[in-house]
Amino acid sequence: MSTLVYVRGYLVRLIIVTGCLSALISWYFVSPQADAMFTEINLINMNVSLFTLFVGIITISARYIRTIQARQKYWPYQLYAMVLMFLWVIMGTTAGLYSDFYQTAYLSTKITLHIAILGQLIFFMASGAYRVFRIRNLRTALFAIGAAAICALNAPWIATPFPQLDPFREWLLSHPGMAPGRGIAIAGAIGACALSIRVFLGLEKGALRATEAA
Amino acid sequence: MAKLPELKSQHIWAVVLIAYVTTAVMPLGAPFKIFDTTQEIYSFVESLPKGSIVVMGGASVFAFDLESSAAMISCIKHMARRGLRLVNIPLGVEAVQYQKYCTDAARVDQKYGGPWKYGVDYIQLPYIPGGDPALIQLLTNVRSAVSADVYGTPLDQFPIMKDVQSYKDIALWTCPHWGITSIFRFVTGERRIPTAHFAQAAAYTGSYGYRTVFPGLVYVTNGWLGGAGYEKLMGFAGVGHAANDGYALSSALLLIFTALGNITRLSQTGKEEEEEKVEVK
Repeated sequence: MSTLVYVRGYLVRLIIVTGCLSALISWYFVSPQADAMFTEINLINMNVSLFTLFVGIITISARYIRTIQARQKYWPYQLYAMVLMFLWVIMGTTAGLYSDFYQTAYLSTKITLHIAILGQLIFFMASGAYRVFRIRNLRTALFAIGAAAICALNAPWIATPFPQLDPFREWLLSHPGMAPGRGIAIAGAIGACALSIRVFLGLEKGALRATEAA
Repeated sequence: MAKLPELKSQHIWAVVLIAYVTTAVMPLGAPFKIFDTTQEIYSFVESLPKGSIVVMGGASVFAFDLESSAAMISCIKHMARRGLRLVNIPLGVEAVQYQKYCTDAARVDQKYGGPWKYGVDYIQLPYIPGGDPALIQLLTNVRSAVSADVYGTPLDQFPIMKDVQSYKDIALWTCPHWGITSIFRFVTGERRIPTAHFAQAAAYTGSYGYRTVFPGLVYVTNGWLGGAGYEKLMGFAGVGHAANDGYALSSALLLIFTALGNITRLSQTGKEEEEEKVEVK
């Protein structure tokens, strides 16, 4: 096994175990030493997380610069994106994130565009409701009636004149609506635990990038 | 039954567009009900002693969280009226801008004629990276996770931060973000801090379940309607009221198109059955 693989595999595991133990000990026991270690590990974690913000800029810049130099397809858009990206960094750094100037620029561009993308959803939901919620058998009937009931009971023009429907609405949301979501969340959490254990034990291909280096 | 033609998607989109433009140009003032869940959070804020520390904290995407802004802005106005104090804790990159948007839109700062002064009644902390461990660190000891506000001024220079050392000083955690699960886990579950989630409608059912897990500690409002209800309780018409008309029309359109789709299918099914009848001599 090469040194790099050895370091990737075992040093990372050691860091993970140390972090987990310090978190558990500081939670379940009164230990100033464990608290201090947990604090230090958290600070390292915060610094590493902060650095990941730059990973996106570095990655995009590396790719876009290559494309622009080679004058590949869409290179003018990528040049525009690059210029805008760095101008935005300069603006944020000089004006400040909490300044009214930066806020106005941010709301006028990125947020407005993002909201426009999300706003399209209602159009697709309307046409989707027309095509998908068609009753053909019991299963599709339950699907369509359930969706229509949730939509109707939450509608202001139903909830206001018929307040006696409110308990039924709350029951629908808090029981049949919520229960599958909890099931999915629990299943996802179990899957995440299982995957974490597999990654930790090196059972996953590419886990901790140890097998790739081999 | 006469066979109904299949509507093109463009026709449906055109109807939805007309509906939204109409409500934008000519507000309908559609009535709405104040949900019990909205009343609960209003009553809880009313019960907090003057000077209590409330946190607006979480992480998500600005555009997604906009739906929660109606209730959050109303709550901030409520806090200002009650003499409470607000600490903004952004755990996501866009949360800084979103929390600034909510605070500015509430018009509580003295520069807008409100009662609050920055650093005394409210403060904006910078983006705190690190996810869940950073949140845990912040709850354990605020200054171990962050040492200055968003402007870079050391926290100890602000009167409000003299009263905020750890989670024990927080009376209520409000979260107008999608990233509520971590808040429920570490703020509500582990440290028993009452939490109000101004939920997007799509997240409402997921958050509502935590009311049974942590009874008496979790409050949830339902999307734009919840925000409109809070605005009504506060006595003003804000973005929640404005969204209510579109909300009412779109819910009606969804039901109409669902019914129309089924009627179209029934008409086509009947036609098929008639065609299948063949006389055999």
